[in-house]
Amino acid sequence: MEIKKISRLAMLLAISVTLNIIESFLPIFNGYIPGFKIGLANIVILIVIYVYNFKDVLIISILRVFLVGILRTGLFSPSFFFSLSGSILSIITMYLAKKYTKLSIIGVSILGSISHTIGQIIMAIIFYNLNMIYYMAFALIFSIPTGILIGFLAKEIKKTLDTSIEWQNN
Amino acid sequence: MNKNDIKLIIIILIIAIMILIVIAISDNNKNTKKALIYYDNNLIKTIDLNVEETQEYTVEGYNGEVKIIVENGKIKVDEENSPLHLCSKQGFIEKNYESIVCLPNKIIIKITSDSQEQYDTIIR
Repeated sequence: MEIKKISRLAMLLAISVTLNIIESFLPIFNGYIPGFKIGLANIVILIVIYVYNFKDVLIISILRVFLVGILRTGLFSPSFFFSLSGSILSIITMYLAKKYTKLSIIGVSILGSISHTIGQIIMAIIFYNLNMIYYMAFALIFSIPTGILIGFLAKEIKKTLDTSIEWQNN
Repeated sequence: MNKNDIKLIIIILIIAIMILIVIAISDNNKNTKKALIYYDNNLIKTIDLNVEETQEYTVEGYNGEVKIIVENGKIKVDEENSPLHLCSKQGFIEKNYESIVCLPNKIIIKITSDSQEQYDTIIR
């Protein structure tokens, strides 16, 4: 990896951690529907998927979960493992969707949102043996507006990045 | 957003509505509905939800007492000690398969109308 790429990925990682923390201060979605959030950090992950390769996304995503774990939720707590399995499943799904389907960035973002929830539900079943089917129905419905919002933001930001000379001059 | 995205959204909505319909169909036997309360994955209390008047229960959570209110086939966590108070904000639950999870207190409340839960063990 050349230095320019390292510093760019480090910057994107810092942005994703910051977005995650900012999101935890937004009270609208905090708690009234348990487990439901917009997933602002996914904007960064989507951009990295579209600009760099799978290995870079995996590194950024896992590092983000660790950093958020240290800063906010506590390392190796249940919510850390929820977040880890959700992130890994969602980046695998988003990468495959980007590579093998004709979905636009918005569709990829919706699939990422759903698979993030499914990853967390798998952990919930392992940890607490819960029947989450009721929750799943609402998670599927909510993934549509949040997925569209995140996909739209990622698309617009990527458009700006593509036209910026600074970004293209690798 | 292209055509494929819209197809994906429609498929997701159909799946979600199908799940909700299946739950609504399985939700008919109101008389046998029970709330199971777990602490640290151990069943500590079973509450029959088929009651007329409001009832209050208190169970011991990890951060202290958790106050539970049962009325009219519904159950909610009223007071508990946790940083975000997620489970008391959630309010009443009443449907089969719904659950309240209180991670800081290690308390989980599940609703079931499955009559098999009455048995202690099943020997095979």
